[in-house]
Amino acid sequence: MHPFTYTRVDDVAAASAAVTTDVVARAVQTPDDVAFIAGGTTQLDLMRDGVWSPGSLVDISRLPLTDVQVHDGVLVVGATVTMAALARHAAVRDVAVLRDSLLLAASPQLREMATIGGNVLQRTRCRYFRDPTVTQCNKREPGSGCAAIEGTARTHAVLGVDAGCIAVHASDLAVALVALDARVRLSGPGGTRTLPVAELHVRADQDPSRDNVLAAGELITHLEVPLPEARSGYLKVRDRASYEFALTSAAVVARVEDGVLEHIAIGLGGVGSVPWRATRAEAVLRGQRASLALFEEAATAELADAFTVPGTDFKPELARRTLVRQLRDVTEVTA
Amino acid sequence: MTTTPTAPASTTPVIGAGITRVDGPLKVTGAVSYADDLAPRDALVGVLVGATITSGTVTLVDASDALAAPGVVAVLSHHDAPSVVRPNEASADDRAPRPPFQDPVVRFRGDYVALVVAQTREEAEHAATLVHVSYDVDEPVVDINDPRAPRETDDPAGADSVRGDLARGLAEADVVIEADFVTGDNTNNPLGLFAACAEWDGEALHMWATTQWPSNVADCLAEAWGIPREDVRVECPYLGGGFGSGLRPWPYIHAAAMAARTVGRPVRVVLSRPQMFTGVGHRPETVQHVRLGARRDGTLTAVEHTATIPVAVDDDNPENVVSGTRQGYAVEHLRADVDQVRLHVSPPGSMRAPGEAQGNFALETALDELAVELGIDPVELRMRNEAVTNPDQGDLPWSSKALDECLRRGAELIGWDERDPAPRSMREGDQLVGYGMAAVSFFYFQQPCTVRVVVRRDGTAAVHCAAMDIGTGTYTIVTQVVADRLGLEVGDVEVVLGDSSLPPSPPAGGSGLATAISNATALAVAQVLDDLGLDPRAAPGRDALAGAVGGRDDVSAEATADQPDPDQLGMSPSGAFGAKFAKVRVDADLGLVRVERLVSVIDCGQVLNERTARSQVVGGTVGGIGHALLEHTVTDLHAGPQTGRITNAHLADYLMAVNADVPDLEVEFVGGPDRLNPVGVKGVGEVGLCGVAAAIGNAVFHATGRRVRRLPITPDLLL
Ligand SMILES: Cc1cc2nc3c(=O)[nH]c(=O)nc-3n(C[C@H](O)[C@H](O)[C@H](O)COP(=O)(O)OP(=O)(O)OC[C@H]3O[C@@H](n4cnc5c(N)ncnc54)[C@H](O)[C@@H]3O)c2cc1C
Ligand code: SF4
Repeated sequence: MHPFTYTRVDDVAAASAAVTTDVVARAVQTPDDVAFIAGGTTQLDLMRDGVWSPGSLVDISRLPLTDVQVHDGVLVVGATVTMAALARHAAVRDVAVLRDSLLLAASPQLREMATIGGNVLQRTRCRYFRDPTVTQCNKREPGSGCAAIEGTARTHAVLGVDAGCIAVHASDLAVALVALDARVRLSGPGGTRTLPVAELHVRADQDPSRDNVLAAGELITHLEVPLPEARSGYLKVRDRASYEFALTSAAVVARVEDGVLEHIAIGLGGVGSVPWRATRAEAVLRGQRASLALFEEAATAELADAFTVPGTDFKPELARRTLVRQLRDVTEVTA
Repeated sequence: MTTTPTAPASTTPVIGAGITRVDGPLKVTGAVSYADDLAPRDALVGVLVGATITSGTVTLVDASDALAAPGVVAVLSHHDAPSVVRPNEASADDRAPRPPFQDPVVRFRGDYVALVVAQTREEAEHAATLVHVSYDVDEPVVDINDPRAPRETDDPAGADSVRGDLARGLAEADVVIEADFVTGDNTNNPLGLFAACAEWDGEALHMWATTQWPSNVADCLAEAWGIPREDVRVECPYLGGGFGSGLRPWPYIHAAAMAARTVGRPVRVVLSRPQMFTGVGHRPETVQHVRLGARRDGTLTAVEHTATIPVAVDDDNPENVVSGTRQGYAVEHLRADVDQVRLHVSPPGSMRAPGEAQGNFALETALDELAVELGIDPVELRMRNEAVTNPDQGDLPWSSKALDECLRRGAELIGWDERDPAPRSMREGDQLVGYGMAAVSFFYFQQPCTVRVVVRRDGTAAVHCAAMDIGTGTYTIVTQVVADRLGLEVGDVEVVLGDSSLPPSPPAGGSGLATAISNATALAVAQVLDDLGLDPRAAPGRDALAGAVGGRDDVSAEATADQPDPDQLGMSPSGAFGAKFAKVRVDADLGLVRVERLVSVIDCGQVLNERTARSQVVGGTVGGIGHALLEHTVTDLHAGPQTGRITNAHLADYLMAVNADVPDLEVEFVGGPDRLNPVGVKGVGEVGLCGVAAAIGNAVFHATGRRVRRLPITPDLLL
């Protein structure tokens, strides 16, 4: 690990905006040289592995962003709320897709450390990215190539990728969030703004070197999650029964009235360079009479243009089956 | 002194009882001292720098930036490190792992090219990133199937065997089954990172190092430095798991000794997790071929089992993949053959049930295929071919064998009768249900062990031996044997282990230590009682012992338990036997395999301590589930700069079984004391792991109708 300075911003007396601005002022000057740290479960790994060695680390874990509230049917979650705390919250208990995306992630110890803001901004687990002795990585060194393409790519993405980078965005929570039409509130040098989570991340086939659209020094302060008036669920498929990232996952939010899919929203995990909103599948399903055959058709449509390499060639099929299964289980349609 | 086994058999209840570990309170309160905890407080910290190429030559190690970094005291590399001799392993003629920095050659990715010594760990880690290494790069060969890899066919593992005439056996068969199997590399991954701290006092070397075999490390260090053995002391009272990775004097141990020599102060070297994947051995991948010939009634007429395993370009690793096949079943015509191919991979070593784990998977899967082909129940097939005598040792009778009972009892416990033998015939909702089984005939391994028993003036006793307790319960069982035979309370016995200055021991490995040390202890107890003028059979008790010691401080005796000679004894020394039965659920669409039940019935002779023995089987079974479904060290094979790099050298990416993968494990012991040795023990450290992968794989076949001949069995193979 390289030497760095450490600053904790924990002035709870001051307004969060003021603290945030102070942080931002430093971060803007040399973007890559300053990093925020919240729970540290991603950030510290990156530093220990020598992947990202900022000269200055700004600890935001004491910022007063730890509230969870419900306003007008919208769940508002402070960015430093831990995954464990959010999963325990009364308002989340009945939103299966949200609750399970949290409880099926990582381990209890990690969930007690890890924050909501850090979770959606976690960086890819690609082991080529996370080893600085690997010289080909377009995410770390734009233009250097991608070692994963011909390498070990079992956990890599097949949607929103091309031969330039096949890194997966590994957050489970973010997959549920895109299916819930959630938004992030941002605060940065240019002021505050609100973005759909579905627009927060940058697809690898667009620009592998950028994970997200945050400006230098911009912070996530809150999540806004409209509570669904629909049934939902999160299915996570992985080798190990617990404590593993998804090989594939499906977040489904659906309301069936008189056999017709009145509302449908789908997020896919483990397959996308971003938390994947399955708009093609949704288009097949929306307003249609729910049936297993239709679910098959929708899932097939979503994965039709998947980009695979030898290591990932099983993934479209596994993802397709994962989605069909979860559509069936959430809608309880069995024929 | 060396004695032939004459000590009396045990009678009192302290043997077999599930007493809690004598070291348990120390462990759970954190009071236990691991090797690294004993390092002198003023020790400097060494951090190793690994090669970032897979094959080639170091042309320059430029340490100038590192030396200028804060806290750095020295940087060692092949340019300036002390020269040492490459030693041989204590037990065999095999070369020990090559000490580092003796030449500029890079033999695998991660091979050590430098050691940075600094005041603190953080400083050393930082400076390690500032060491600039230049290379001449050669093209590495890392793929086991690469025809360019040099192939050693002259039986380096002592594994090959020919019995009868294979062609004849095949000709006599009504049915021949033939299949190829592949098992992946696995990494031991004990939780405790390995550490070594060296301190020189003139020409004497004191070492605190993670090891499963202090005597061997001391022997090798003495040979490496050309100093008298008594001037080397290696201490390791406890270690945080080994699973075989601590059996050899790995290069990092030498690095600590070199650094301490160079800087004239104690230096401790702690490996990083990625270095634990390349620096302390691993279970090598295998490519195997099995051919079975049988009559309609299930009688085996021919068995052929061949295997290819990798070995490092400049190392030896005798890994006997076919030992279980050679002795497993009564078959007249057999050919077993293991070839090694030399690759630019980090040196493989032992990992729990080395060879046996991989070989058993292939053989017991093939037997399942044969059972299906013949329409014979798989349990019945094993029983019909039972080796009543050891076919691999001149058909000598076994010293003990209760495999038949293991099979019967296991079938009963799992409810084998409820199984519909037709594949893919049992379904509950989305879940396909399957049952599978495998048998294990674990090899016998014992090496000489010397133990000193001391009876003190107050009638209490102490036991001294260099052996390691690797978390298996050695402290506890030795305590029990002594308490039993001297008639003492458990609390009146002090056991001191893990120090090469004590009487020499074999490794805590090969499931051989419990047998060796318990018998040596029993012999030493008999000797000391004899010396005290007491009846060696009487278990005299504390007062009588104190009386016999009289005015002396203490009275002690040493005894060595030797390797028995089968021909002289007229019997074949038995290892443990076992039967594994698995019930699995496989998601019909998603290919997810979950183990619902796992039954192990084990014949390990006299159970010294029900609790620690059961723990061994439970732990082994957890490892077996990982072996079957999860664990896989993945090396990049495609040509290019990443060739030979392990892609998942990280605990988040190398998947070991977690609680959610492991059902309540059912363990039962059958059989009785082994006839061979006075205590009647057979090792139980590895039999728990063997057979689990085949039982699970066979259950997956029964559930799905899909035969997977590859480990680990992952969902993508079942789609
Ligand atoms: C072994 C392991 C297993 C895991 N398994 C899973 C899993 O199964 N599913 C899953 O979803 N995740 C998993 N994770 C990832 C884990 O959930 C994330 O590491 C965690 O959520 C990150 O939160 P943190 O607070 O620790 O973030 P940090 O590590 O502190 O930060 C992560 C990144 O986000 C930035 N950041 C943090 N907060 C903010 C903010 N408010 N505004 C702007 N930038 C911010 C930081 O600068 C940093 O770059 C796993 C992690 C590990 C180590
Ligand atoms: S997949 Fe992306 S992150 Fe991984 S090596 Fe390729 S470019 Fe880098």
